[in-house]
Order: sequence, then structure tokens, then C-alpha cells
Amino acid sequence: MDVWLVATIILGFWMAWNIGANDVANSMGTAVGAKAITPRQAAVIAGLMNFTGAYFFGKSVTETIRKGILHQNMISNPWIIVYGSLAALLAASIWLIFATYNGLPVSTTHSIIGGIVGYGLVYAGTGIVDWGKLAQVVLSWILSPIFGAIVAFFVFKAVRLSILTRSDPVKSARRWAPFWIGLAFVVIGTMFYIKVLHGKNLFYGVLVCGVPTGIAIFGISYLLIRLHFKPSDPYIGVESIFRKVQVVTSAYVALAHGSNDVANAVGPVAAAYAVITMGLSGIKVPVPKWILAMGGLGIAVGIFMYGYRVMETVGKKITELTNTRGFSIDFSAATVILVASWLGMPISTTHTVVGAVVGVGLARGIKAINTSILKDIIISWFVTVPVAAAISAVIFKAILFLAG
Amino acid sequence: MKLFAKSPFKPLIKHSEVVFETVETLEKALNAWYNGNYGEMRDLAVEVDRLEDIADRIKEEIRDSLSSKLMMAVSREDVLIYLHMQDKVADSAEDTAKWLLVGKPDGVPKEIKDVILRMGTESIKAAKLLHEAIVQMDRVIESGFAEREINREYELIRAIEDVEKVIDELDTQLMRLVFENAERFDWGTGTYILNVARTLSNISDKAKDAAERIRLMMNK
Repeated sequence: MDVWLVATIILGFWMAWNIGANDVANSMGTAVGAKAITPRQAAVIAGLMNFTGAYFFGKSVTETIRKGILHQNMISNPWIIVYGSLAALLAASIWLIFATYNGLPVSTTHSIIGGIVGYGLVYAGTGIVDWGKLAQVVLSWILSPIFGAIVAFFVFKAVRLSILTRSDPVKSARRWAPFWIGLAFVVIGTMFYIKVLHGKNLFYGVLVCGVPTGIAIFGISYLLIRLHFKPSDPYIGVESIFRKVQVVTSAYVALAHGSNDVANAVGPVAAAYAVITMGLSGIKVPVPKWILAMGGLGIAVGIFMYGYRVMETVGKKITELTNTRGFSIDFSAATVILVASWLGMPISTTHTVVGAVVGVGLARGIKAINTSILKDIIISWFVTVPVAAAISAVIFKAILFLAG
Repeated sequence: MKLFAKSPFKPLIKHSEVVFETVETLEKALNAWYNGNYGEMRDLAVEVDRLEDIADRIKEEIRDSLSSKLMMAVSREDVLIYLHMQDKVADSAEDTAKWLLVGKPDGVPKEIKDVILRMGTESIKAAKLLHEAIVQMDRVIESGFAEREINREYELIRAIEDVEKVIDELDTQLMRLVFENAERFDWGTGTYILNVARTLSNISDKAKDAAERIRLMMNK
């Protein structure tokens, strides 16, 4: 086996590992913080669902250069893509490690994009970067949190109207909680139709796969959601119902995360693989299933080795996040991510989750949000692409030197 | 996720619990005073002073932790002013305790003692209701500002405000009694009576101000 291919696979796996280590706390943090699941359960759910999402729902075809951020026709020697992919993966991983260490939820997508821009700039200067495409990615910094916030705002308002403000909140929760779970499965079912059965017609998919799955799951969860005690306080009853719902929605988030973010690790690997084995590359390359499996596995291993520890600290902290709020955040974020990735919009899991938190806050659902932390997070979003680009540029130069 | 800050309501309720204990101890001291158990009254009044100190310390802690960089379900200003008012309730209780400690209770006529005891009991009732009101405010947010919980909160606030009317009447009655019986005691006892009464009625007055803030919290 080619030494460059081995190196790319190792770094791709490491990148996936970092996605698991850094991102999992962002996507599962609300469920752990609201005490719906223990860190151990979160690790198991996140590991399984991320792998499932990556393997079954991950992109089977990827752009040779992620999001087509570089003008590929300006790359005369295809091996540059191999070296560049290595540099980008390494740079993104380094930045992710730094961000994880400092507790900053940064986007893995933007890290890898930064890495690619970095090697592109070293290779051919500013002309090679498709600045319009880059602008689209930058736009997703702004769009992801805004969509997350808007959807979460209305989901929380809907939970409030349909359950919390009712005369018998527990009874309403018994009826409405299965509805939300069912709705999540409408999305998952449709996703299954498109990604696994390779259906083309979205409307048909919703009708044939999404809605029946949703209705079936609605029925099952309606029967399963029972309270084993007579709550003295209606809100304690509602929260304990939503604690169960959150187990499902946290899995939903993990699934969305795996399917959306695995491409950041496997995309460059698939591109390098295509160049090394076939000697050339088109605008798009196929992603072999084993590479997707490797990505999913890498994420899962990252979760078990490091993400688990991050979640443990989240679990120990007294976040007074209640389950109805945690649910609103999870449900909104996962739905926005899945729907946006169908529509081919560039979306960042992390940014969407942070936006959803703020959305529920704006609906007066969260007692206190740290805006100074929010500021740090937003700043980290702005520096991700430039910093990853700079690191990648240095590494790319070193690789070129090594490869002669 | 560090994004979630601690809710200010848990510490606010903790502060309220100490204030509750302060006024409850004062109530016991007042009863001891009424029954002529001055030794017991003194011990209890000292205890009121100690509790008020604790309340003060909790207040400082909350104030320091409530950074302006929080995005909250209620406005930070309302929380801070509420805290200030809630603390004033304990302050007023301490004022009464001080008068009980330095004054001479022997010369106070029975009918005046009766009115003062009633004033104290009513006023302290308002302070105790305030504790229920802040606990209820936490529920209002928990329920996502449900109409039903807001209404329950309004009932509590109204009950606190109603105490004010009762206190007003008792206050007038007391002043009349003091002047009618002026020749039965010296000026020192007179000052003592009027100040015990004034500080007692202050308790419900501050409780009412605090309740007023809860009203504003809900209207944000």
C-alpha cells in the first residue's frame, strides 16, 4: 500500500477522532446537562448513532475538494490534492484539539475548509480560491445559528402553548410528547428513503417513508410514555416525560451530527484515495463504504476516549437546564441540520446548537445564558478558517519539502 | 456547556429562606415580649441580628455573581432591585429587634401591647407571603410564563398588598392610643412604642415593594 495513502487514512481517522472528541459534548451536552442521560449512556448513544449516521446517511459522493472551495482546474498535478488533503486534515485536527482543550465549540466543517484554503493559497496564491464559495461557507456561520435560533424559538413556544400553559400539563405532555418523537421520525424516515433506498422524490419519500414511520413511532411512544408515579407538581411530571423524550432526541442529534460531519474527515481521504488508486480525479469522487465506516468508527472511538470525559464534566456541573428546554434545543438543532443538508446548504452542527440555545433563551425559556461565553464562542467561529488555513499552509510547505 | 449560567433564582430563594427565618424569629421574640418573657425575648432578638447578618452575606454573594453579561428570562435590574428589597425586609426586622433590646417594655399598657402584637403578626405575615411569591416566580418561569401560574403569583402579590391596609388601620389606632394614654408613661416609653410599631410596619412595607418588583419581572 502506498505510504501516502496510509498517512491519509491515519490522519483521516484522527480527524474523525477529533470530531468525536470535540463535537460530541456540543451535541449531547444538553441531554447530559438536563440529566436525561448519564455521560456513559451519552457515549454509547452518540457512538452508535454517529456511526449509523456516518455509515448510512453520510455522503456517498463527495467533492474532491470539500465544498469546491478551490478551483480544481488550476491544480495540474493531482498529487497536490493528496499532499493538500494531508495538510488540511492535520491542520484541522490541531485546531480542533486546541479548541476542545479551551472548551470552545468550533465547527469541524470550517476547520477543514480553512485547512484546504491554506494549502491552496500556498500552492497557487489567492486566485485558486473560489471566494464566492468561501463566502457561502462564511454565510453559514451566520445562517446556521440563525436557523437554529428561529426554529428553537418556535419549538419552545409550541411546547409552551401545547403543554406548559394547559390546565393539565401532564395530560397534555402525554399526548404531545409522542407527537414530537413522531415528527423526528418523519425526518429520519425520509432521510432513510433518500440516503439508503436512494429515492429521488422528496415529497414521495415523506409520504411513503417519513409519515408512516412517524405514525408508527408515535403510537409506540404513546404506549411507552407512562408516568410511574403521581406527580405532586405538574411540571415535575412534564419534565420526567420529556426526560424520556430527550433520550430519543439526543440520539436524533447524534445521528444528524454523524451524517453531516463525517464528510469533514472522510472527504479528503476519499479524494486522496481516488488520486492514488486511479491517478486522476474529477470534480466529484465516490466515497467507498469502508472509508465511511472508518470515519464513523473514528468518531465513535473519539467519543469513547475523550468526548466521554468532556460529557462527564458537563454532567457534574449544575446546569439548571430542564428537559423541556433541552428537548427544544436538541429537536430544533437536529431537524435544522438534517433538512439543511438535504437542501445542500452548508450548515454547521455546532453553530446550529449554539443558535438553538439562544433561541430558547429569547423565548424566555432559559433562566440564564452566559453572554460573555457566547462572545468567546462567536469569536472562535471567526478565527477558525484563518487559523486552520495558516496551520495548513505551514504543514503543506513542509510536506512539499519532504516529498521533494 | 459553559453557555448555561446558573439561574439566579435558586440563590434568591435561599436568601428568601433566611429572611423568612429572620422574621419568624422576630415573631417569636415579639410573642415573648407580649408575654413578658424578656429573657427569652432578648435571646431571640440577638438571633434576629445574627440571621440578618447571614442574609446580608448571601445578598452580597448574589450581587457579585449576577454579572451584566447574563441573558436572563427576567431583567437583571429587576432581580437586583428585588434582592435589595427582600434584604430590606430582614433589615427592618433587625431594627425592631434593636428597639426590643434597648427599650424598657415594662411601662407599656396592655391595650397598646395588643395592637403592637397584631401589627407585628400582620406585618410578618406579609414577609412570609413574600417567600411564597419568589418561589412561585421560579415556577412562573418554569411553566414558560403560563397564565395559570402568573395568576397565582398575582394572588400572592395582592395578599401582600392587602396587609398594608390592615397595618394602616392598626397604625392609626395605635397613634390614637398613645396620645390618649400619654400621661400613663414617660417620653422614653412613648418613643419606644412608636418606634417598635414603625419598624414593624416597615417589614410589610418593604415586602410590598419587593412584591411590586415581582410584578415587573413578569411584565418584561
